[in-house]
Amino acid sequence: MTRLGNTQLSSFADLEHIREELLSRRAPSTKSVHVCTGPGCAAKGSPKLYELFCAAVKQAGADVEVQAKAVGCHGLCECGPIVLVQPGDFFYQRVEEPDVAEIFRETVLGGRVVERLLYENPATGEKADTVDKIPFYKAQKRIALAYNGLIDPTKITDYIAEGGYSALSKVISSMTPEEVISEVEVAGLRGRGGGGFPTARKWRSCREAEGFPKYVICNGDEGDPGAFMDRAIMEGNPHSVIEGMLIGAYAIGSEQGYIYVRNEYPLSVERLKEAIEQAKELGLLGENILGNSFSFDIRINRGGGAFVCGESTALMASLEGRPGEPRAKYVHTVESGFRGKPTNLNNVETWANIPQIINRGGGWFASIGTEKSKGTKVFSLVGNVVNTGLVEIPMGITLRRIIDEIGGGIRDGKRFKAVQTGGPSGGCIPTEHLDARVDFDELTKLGSMMGSGGMIVMDEDTCMVKVAKYFTDFLQKESCGKCTPCREGLSQMLYILDRITDAEGQVGDIERLEELAELLEGTALCALGKTAANPIISTIRYFRDEFDAHILDRRCPAKECRGLFRYEIDEEACKACGICLKNCPADAITGEKKVPYVINQEKCTLCGTCWEKCPFTAVLKV
Amino acid sequence: MPQDRDLIEQIVKRYDGDTGMLIPMMQDLQSECGYLPAEHLRYLSGRLKVPMSRLYAVATFYSSFHLAPKGAHEVTLCMGTVCFLKGAASISETICREFHVEPGGTTRDRLFTLQAVNCVGACAVAPVMLVDGKYYESVTPTSALEILYDLATDKATAEKGG
Amino acid sequence: MLGKMSLHRSVKGIRKGKPVPTVTIDGRKVRVKKDATVLDAAKKAGIWIPTLCFHPAVSCDASCRLCMVELDRGDWRQLITACNYPVRRDIVIYVSSKGARQARRGVMELLLARAPESQELKVLAERMGVKETRYPNVTESQRNCILCGLCVRICEEIIGQAAIGFAGRGADRTVAVPFRQPSDDCIGCGVCAAVCPVGTIKVRVHQDQQEVEISPFKSRAKLLVCRQCGAPIVSMQVSERVLEQLEMTNCEEFRERVHLCPKCRKPRTAARLEATKIYKKE
Repeated sequence: MTRLGNTQLSSFADLEHIREELLSRRAPSTKSVHVCTGPGCAAKGSPKLYELFCAAVKQAGADVEVQAKAVGCHGLCECGPIVLVQPGDFFYQRVEEPDVAEIFRETVLGGRVVERLLYENPATGEKADTVDKIPFYKAQKRIALAYNGLIDPTKITDYIAEGGYSALSKVISSMTPEEVISEVEVAGLRGRGGGGFPTARKWRSCREAEGFPKYVICNGDEGDPGAFMDRAIMEGNPHSVIEGMLIGAYAIGSEQGYIYVRNEYPLSVERLKEAIEQAKELGLLGENILGNSFSFDIRINRGGGAFVCGESTALMASLEGRPGEPRAKYVHTVESGFRGKPTNLNNVETWANIPQIINRGGGWFASIGTEKSKGTKVFSLVGNVVNTGLVEIPMGITLRRIIDEIGGGIRDGKRFKAVQTGGPSGGCIPTEHLDARVDFDELTKLGSMMGSGGMIVMDEDTCMVKVAKYFTDFLQKESCGKCTPCREGLSQMLYILDRITDAEGQVGDIERLEELAELLEGTALCALGKTAANPIISTIRYFRDEFDAHILDRRCPAKECRGLFRYEIDEEACKACGICLKNCPADAITGEKKVPYVINQEKCTLCGTCWEKCPFTAVLKV
Repeated sequence: MPQDRDLIEQIVKRYDGDTGMLIPMMQDLQSECGYLPAEHLRYLSGRLKVPMSRLYAVATFYSSFHLAPKGAHEVTLCMGTVCFLKGAASISETICREFHVEPGGTTRDRLFTLQAVNCVGACAVAPVMLVDGKYYESVTPTSALEILYDLATDKATAEKGG
Repeated sequence: MLGKMSLHRSVKGIRKGKPVPTVTIDGRKVRVKKDATVLDAAKKAGIWIPTLCFHPAVSCDASCRLCMVELDRGDWRQLITACNYPVRRDIVIYVSSKGARQARRGVMELLLARAPESQELKVLAERMGVKETRYPNVTESQRNCILCGLCVRICEEIIGQAAIGFAGRGADRTVAVPFRQPSDDCIGCGVCAAVCPVGTIKVRVHQDQQEVEISPFKSRAKLLVCRQCGAPIVSMQVSERVLEQLEMTNCEEFRERVHLCPKCRKPRTAARLEATKIYKKE
């Protein structure tokens, strides 16, 4: 870590001075190789690549100006591990350990490209030698993810060199709390965790509330399955969150903040802890920040493993050492929240946007996006698309553009069926609405919601009834169990869905589900319960025929629900190898050499082993 | 046991006896002991002057807490949407059937504890399985079983040699 | 005189600037103190709203969702729980509207499905006009517990023992004693049984062992038995607690009487009164 002489910054001038010093230390000729260690690439072993590159740098000797950095999630996880090289904007995909030496020798030191590691457009076969030529990145506009891929998240100096903490400096030296809130108001920032509540309004209410002390909380309990945007921010650029919270605390009048990170993200906790330590060392957290009377400290709490703790009152209960059960919000948390005091809670991505809003102005932020949804949003685009990963795009872009242009379309030549947005509180959007513009309000009109940004693309082989059951099962396990409608209602809905997928659906089941959905929406205590039936209702709305097929015909059109389709052996494709017969646990297959094998439907238990094991794909789902 | 008391005292001191930090305290305790032993919890309850019923409520509410000793290895299956769509459910079924264990539980021979979690954020390489923190990508029922059988052989070898 | 007092009070209110909001509930207008609940307003207006988890002695967490009513929001109506909605300005509430009754019926049907054997619940349902439930029993309920939490809250907030609490989460949530072992914190007062609205918790007296048991928690406490006839009186710990809190000048006599059951106490009390010559036997 670059030593800054153990200085505690005691004024804005100090911070500027440090930044200038850091920038001057950077020789323009410094070559650097950035290895992505975000969740997707790390799962594929990128930390080892980083180690190898570090070793190569060391070996190169002290007279060669070269450095290796481990950076946060760059976004195109599908093509990971990703390695970037500067100068030259080189972008390499699917890098493996044997490639390290070549990249270092050829590109890092020699400035030459290694063709085979370049990104290749699967549709056109075209290779892209720089990042901006890759369609996945072209349509993106990165604000929250701006510095992922550029800075080393474990070094505060990297953040400062890129302008980090200058927003804080500006705020403390030249803005009143009210002016800060006004700037955020002009920006039109709305909560990025799913609620979409106007951030400035929340800050102002908290500021005006009676009571002391006031608390500022960062909700890092990202629980929607399929979503990892907040993780990428916490691990890729933790200082953006800290700076955002500092600015918010200043505006609201708070001296104590908490970051609540879900238990399943230990690396996020580590990165944030490190970042807080480094900020404290420099005097950017603690007493009398930058020589001003403003003091602020942050504490990190880990969740215990409960999705419901993403709900603000449940989170606060958890912070108070109690089970994460939500409470009524007739009195808002900005008035009485954590420990009964005025509390302002915002999502990770919301906080991460603040420094740039202050630096570049609310007007700049408001120039991006739509009339009611300003700025950009980070989405995790996953599922059956070609390019899976994280994308940050201006609000208002259509689903079609996201899935086709950025996502590269559906993989394996399949057809698009639906995209699930908003996690378990959201719903699915079918083909006919692909031209819907993505923002807070448009998707809600279609029966879903933008939510925290999860976007799960499903192809024609997906059974939508099973999807509805999956989310209901998830919510039933995660429900806190406090209120009757959510606890009992989810069990009742799951019971009906179980029957439907077990070939025991009854006429009237859909109406029963709709009745329960209406009951939950009106009477559940918190947002988890109120929106719990959304996945079911939206799939019924757009895929009613599939439900009818399950219930009336005892048939699963997508051939996913066991018992609602059959296995048959394709006579032409069968090579009579005998593997299916050998593995069949029910002795339901008969056959002999040179004659196509046959499945006895009476004996068949539909376990699917033959389908899995056949090397000639001769077993068909019918 | 005196050293256990010391452990609790250490933990309580670490958080200045702040009862709001009960969950981090219990997490630290579980890190040390591998699970939450009843006697330790009772001592903690007395020390913090927080009723035992509250500690028990917290210990049973959050999925990450275990009140019984865990297995030698921690096997985590991601059941997030993408992993699920790619067949995580059948991987789970297969493991449960083969090893006679339920998600959240431990195999009888204490070889491993099986946990199902909601999303580890590695959706691009689904289905994902973790063994002691190590990621395994694009897992199938067959490959999952192989990985776990390897754990058993390692154990057998270790026991033989040890 | 009453008239004068109420005028004085409302004048006082105006002078201090404290708002006294009006709640129009099913057409009837009542005025309540700021931060009083809609349920308070309903009581004042003489309108019955069914409740289960509400009890004036303990904190309110609106978990049963039975007391749903509609709040007029201009162009739409919001369903809210009456027991904890704070009145801060003039509002209009509908208790008997279709939407409100449908919501309450739905919740009650879910409860009936959960606790099919509770007579008390059926009685309440009848009073609400709900004769049966369309839902099957799908959750395993510990003997008809509806998880209202009254027992938990009263043991913690009033008795101060917190011997029982919630355990688990979601459909597996139960009211339990720590580690499912009989609790040492239980003093056997039986208040949990008294407050349980569905008759799930019961007090069992084990005469031979001189113990009282709280079922289904299996917690036991020693009983104080009558020195004279051996009949069970009350849990010893309860009796000790009460004694701790009292300063009696005539301690000896009181302590003697505490060890007698009501039946055996009567002749003794009579004898004492005779002795003090307050009442003379003719």
